Amino acid sequence: MALVVLLISLLAPPSSPGSAGAAPPPPPVTAATLVYLESPTDTPGQKLVGALLDAAVFVALVAVVTFVLVALYYYRCTCFLKNYMRFSAFFVLFSMGGAIAAAVLRRLGAPLDAATALVLLFNASAVGVLSVFASAVPIVVRQGYMVALAVIVAAWLSRLPEWTTWIMLIALALYDLVAVLAPRGPLRMLVELASSRDDELPALIYESRPTVGPASSSSSYASAMGSVEMQPVADPGRSGGNQYDRVEQEDDSNRAMVEMRDVGGIRSGIRERNLEREAPMVVSVSGQSSNQGGNSQHAVIQIEQHEEGETTPLVSAASANNAAPNDEHRESSSDSAMEFEMFESTRGIKLGLGDFIFYSVLVGRAAMYDLMTVYACYLAIIAGLGCTLILLSICKHALPALPISIMLGVTFYFLTRLLMEPFVVGSSTNLVMF
Amino acid sequence: MTVAAGLGYALIALGPAFPLFAGVVARKPFLVLTLLTSTLFWLISLIILSGVWRVFLPIRSGAWWPYAILILTSVAFQEGIRLVFWRIYKKMEEMLDSFADRISKPRLCLTDKMLISLAGGLGHGVAHAVFFCLSLLTPAFGRATFYVERCSRMPFFLVSAIISLGFLVIHTFSMIIAFNGYDERKRSEQVFVPVVHLIASVMTLINLAPGGCVIGTPLLCFMGAVTLQYCWQMVWRRLSEQQHRQFSS
Repeated sequence: MALVVLLISLLAPPSSPGSAGAAPPPPPVTAATLVYLESPTDTPGQKLVGALLDAAVFVALVAVVTFVLVALYYYRCTCFLKNYMRFSAFFVLFSMGGAIAAAVLRRLGAPLDAATALVLLFNASAVGVLSVFASAVPIVVRQGYMVALAVIVAAWLSRLPEWTTWIMLIALALYDLVAVLAPRGPLRMLVELASSRDDELPALIYESRPTVGPASSSSSYASAMGSVEMQPVADPGRSGGNQYDRVEQEDDSNRAMVEMRDVGGIRSGIRERNLEREAPMVVSVSGQSSNQGGNSQHAVIQIEQHEEGETTPLVSAASANNAAPNDEHRESSSDSAMEFEMFESTRGIKLGLGDFIFYSVLVGRAAMYDLMTVYACYLAIIAGLGCTLILLSICKHALPALPISIMLGVTFYFLTRLLMEPFVVGSSTNLVMF
Repeated sequence: MTVAAGLGYALIALGPAFPLFAGVVARKPFLVLTLLTSTLFWLISLIILSGVWRVFLPIRSGAWWPYAILILTSVAFQEGIRLVFWRIYKKMEEMLDSFADRISKPRLCLTDKMLISLAGGLGHGVAHAVFFCLSLLTPAFGRATFYVERCSRMPFFLVSAIISLGFLVIHTFSMIIAFNGYDERKRSEQVFVPVVHLIASVMTLINLAPGGCVIGTPLLCFMGAVTLQYCWQMVWRRLSEQQHRQFSS
């Protein structure tokens, strides 16, 4: 769900400055182009060196900021962190979002007077800031704002020159790998710290809706923390935001059931969690594909499962109602309501907002070339996510989500652009297909 | 032409896939995973193919035989990919079955297997439609349309959308037929699938002739209908057999 929305909404901004054409896009002034600003007249060698320098500076900046944040968190300056995040979220929504909204409005030719626009923008960002923090805000709203933040930042970042973007993506993926997996990596320290304190991670995280089944007691509160799949935002401007694992109460049992649908990664959460707690629980993920079915009762089965977690829902679907295995499990939820009581706490899989941002930067950059590359990159990213989830079930600790996906995405982009496009276009413009 | 036309073309190509996805595949996470895997498979196969053919492209001569060779190799390669996909699926099914035995749940039943093959086929078909039709459709959202020289009656986008629709149907349902054929070790079904694929591809060669798209496109749709009919008969036969067996036991 999120990725699709992201993709669609992302496609509008990059295409609008490009197709507007008349006004050249303003030179991006970001940390990534401190050293070198690409101009189309440079030779490839120059571009490569410049882009490498840019990426190095950017990654160094990111690393420094991450270390500072970890240090702050270590010394329990959570109050400062929270306020800083509030400020950065507001800043991103207000200024960057405002600029992008203005560009979109100009592109659409929609007249809107400045006062109204300002009021609207201010209100929107104020609600956004509140929703990032307050636990009383509906989770849909919060997720919407998370996605909005990611889209805004990604649209902003995709204005970078081309070579810089690619080199930076690869460099960030490598940095991610180091930061999470190295023994003293900052992100790893952060995760361990957070899980040892049984605390929320001080980062903007797209959380995957931990929910409790409608029949479970309404007082159960999901305090389980320690991310399975987590990536604190790797961007200096906006590293922060607290996520409260909040349980959806049964007031909207319908949606709660929808949230029960799981992705294949479900087992990873369960298995890891299982080591620490004895109570079986539901882990629900609705990260990238909300349209997946499955029932929370399968979690019982999946706890014992080792290798092929994503395959269970089908098995148990067949077992749950033999006569009609296709049946939607929403209907059967009432029968299995008793089983819900076993689940005491829930926990979702968390994906850092930074990952979303860089995925969408990749897709947005691909969108500037052709739609074909977009589809290829999109598929590659999802495949990479799947691989990461499978690895997650093996490794059982926080893993970087960027490297596999970004590498696959970049590879597919260039393969598609260099090899596939002339082939497909050549054969299909002759109306020869197979 | 405007946005409406572009949307219309996209819906012609992908319309049947939507209800199939929403009604059948989206309900189960495992089917979605199968779909994604098979889409990725198809994409990789396409990339490998185009990597091989990159050397010879673009074909400048107006002759039809390079295209014939291209189609022959492509179809052969894709049928090979289908075999690989089947092998992987078979392994996974064994794992699933052993797992189901371990937790004393019933194994995958026939409809489950058919659903899996449907999802796999849908992945192939959707990938075909996306890469051959949808990715070229961007200009159709603009103000003009595009006619190929050899097919001056219909807009290019319309023809490619209809062809994609035909191939979507063929890919989707031939996967079911193929999986069933491998499962039952039935020669006729195993042969039927590549033959249909090949015939359908060869029919697009008709489009190379001037004005040929008027003939080639309906023929292709006819092939899609034949696949659908064959698949329906097969599924019906299997299901009724199974019912008989259950009834007698």
